[in-house]
Amino acid sequence: MKIIKKLLSKRIITSLAVLLLPISHPASSDDKLNAMHTLYEDNCASCHGSDRGGFIAPALNSESLKGRSPTSLRSLIMTGSFDTLMPPFYGRLSDDEIRGLVKHLQSTPKLANPKWTIEDIKASVKVYVKDETTLPAKPTYAIDDINNIIGVAARGKYGRGTGSKAIFINSVTHQIIGEIPTGTAAHIIDYDPANPRWAYVKNDTAEIFKVDLYSMQIVRSVKTGFNGPGLGVSRDGKYIMAGSYVPHNAVILDAQTLEPLKTFDLEGIDPDGKMVSSDSGMIIGTPFADIFAIALENAGQVWVVDLKDGFPVTKIENVGRHLHDAFLSHGGSKLMVASYVDSIVTAIDLKERKIIKKLEAGCVPHVGGGAAVEVDGRTLGFGTNFGDCDKMVVSVWDLDKMEVVKQVPVSGGTESPAAHANAPYVAVDIISKDTRARTIQLIDKKSLEVIKTLDVGGHAYFPEYSADGKFLYVSAGYSGDEVVVYDSTSLAKIASIPMESPAGLFSHGRVKYMTRGLSPDEFENAQQLKGAK
Amino acid sequence: MRRVAISGIMLLGLYSLALSANGASIYAGQERAAAVCAQCHGIKKPSADAPFPSLAGRDFTYLKLALEQYRDKTRRSDIMNAIAGSLTDNDISNVAAYYSKLKP
Repeated sequence: MKIIKKLLSKRIITSLAVLLLPISHPASSDDKLNAMHTLYEDNCASCHGSDRGGFIAPALNSESLKGRSPTSLRSLIMTGSFDTLMPPFYGRLSDDEIRGLVKHLQSTPKLANPKWTIEDIKASVKVYVKDETTLPAKPTYAIDDINNIIGVAARGKYGRGTGSKAIFINSVTHQIIGEIPTGTAAHIIDYDPANPRWAYVKNDTAEIFKVDLYSMQIVRSVKTGFNGPGLGVSRDGKYIMAGSYVPHNAVILDAQTLEPLKTFDLEGIDPDGKMVSSDSGMIIGTPFADIFAIALENAGQVWVVDLKDGFPVTKIENVGRHLHDAFLSHGGSKLMVASYVDSIVTAIDLKERKIIKKLEAGCVPHVGGGAAVEVDGRTLGFGTNFGDCDKMVVSVWDLDKMEVVKQVPVSGGTESPAAHANAPYVAVDIISKDTRARTIQLIDKKSLEVIKTLDVGGHAYFPEYSADGKFLYVSAGYSGDEVVVYDSTSLAKIASIPMESPAGLFSHGRVKYMTRGLSPDEFENAQQLKGAK
Repeated sequence: MRRVAISGIMLLGLYSLALSANGASIYAGQERAAAVCAQCHGIKKPSADAPFPSLAGRDFTYLKLALEQYRDKTRRSDIMNAIAGSLTDNDISNVAAYYSKLKP
């Protein structure tokens, strides 16, 4: 496993280095540049982007670092940055390496979008279990219902290494039932809606691992790009789609073999009329139809891809400026897409393939996994937002009428909401960079007021309910190093599960609810629609 | 099961020792450790991939002395001199109490 990874990353580095190095350079300077690039790829690129253009962490290039003092950059690399995921590299990199990196980064512009073609993707497929019929027919551990699994994207302190894993927990017993090493930080975990045994884990270097949940092992893997979290599974479990920040592409894969079937260059005319190349935002499969929806972040478009011959694309333009994530409602026929720059969430009708309405969404909306819940006959959607301005609210929308019901004041910026049909509160994570980041707040579903603040510790984020709604899981991330479990009604602390820098939490129950908080009936309705079709 | 139970048991253990003989508070220490030390040494233990020493269960007197020396620069380490420089006497006692009471 480790060797395969090493070889893989070596190959990428070599191919990148070829792009980087003008042939005329003398050998010694080439070697130095090469060494610096390798150092960057091996330590920084999974967060800061292989093209130096930023990913989950800021861009590091001559433009973005202009005017920064080399001394302060050097000490920042040594000690890490408190209140962020930036780890201390003291003792991991020598002082010469750190000085060299600072000099190199401050003098190198953002790299051209590196190529990662369908051939590269195809060649990257690794098979760990050749004959899947040899896999056990049932889980090899005690579990009443596979939906009780909660997957944790554990980043590991350095965003790579032995701490980087997908960790699966039985949310009834709060015990770890499996750990899957992911090389670099696990970012997204998605489940096959049709066959409960498969999970797909994507890491920060755009590798996807097909995981057999019954035997808790990797069956296959594929590298779909250099960075980018976008991942979706089709309702029939036959296809997965992945999208990248670096390079600007998306790919549909055969879910069984992970072989690439078609790639898409992500570009389009943005809401300001400019043709732009675009990062991939969210990708989502829906119980409503045999389609994927993908957000083109910079182009402000949502593409609907039909899962039939040739994978034709319907483009929905002018969705918003800088799109990011989304969630589904109404049997999966409506898609709520967050636009960072316009501070709106745009409701899209996936049946008509057009915009229904643009709704106010606080300040820099980031809806995370999204949450929608039925309260007194209305389906309410809850919208979190970074709140990097004076307005610190969680938006509540009536998803039937598509209108704002209330903007609930909270104590800071928020990143991800969690709801459950059986739980009385909607949990939101406060992420403002001070002691508030230790907390989550609970909004009463009926009164739509904050009724409690829990001090979780670390950087508390990505709340998630267990499939039965009895327990609320929260990552005490960054240096908190544990997942904390609460009783979802009494809010008493029930358990603590130690791990390195946990982040996203993904309940297997999501395949049943479609969107967290909706009753399973919603999904069954969608299934009936599918049957009637 | 063991992994889940550990922190619960530990907390119970800590509760009875919350205020140690020298008056240091492990709760205040935990808060300070989370803000100042945990980035490298971990709130319980350092990352498996980190070069930093584990502090859990180390002798209280040793931890206190080391931090004082780092702060006063009588023990040299660029990084520890810089970080310990921000700690008060109380902080040092509290942080030392917190880590010394943790089960390694």
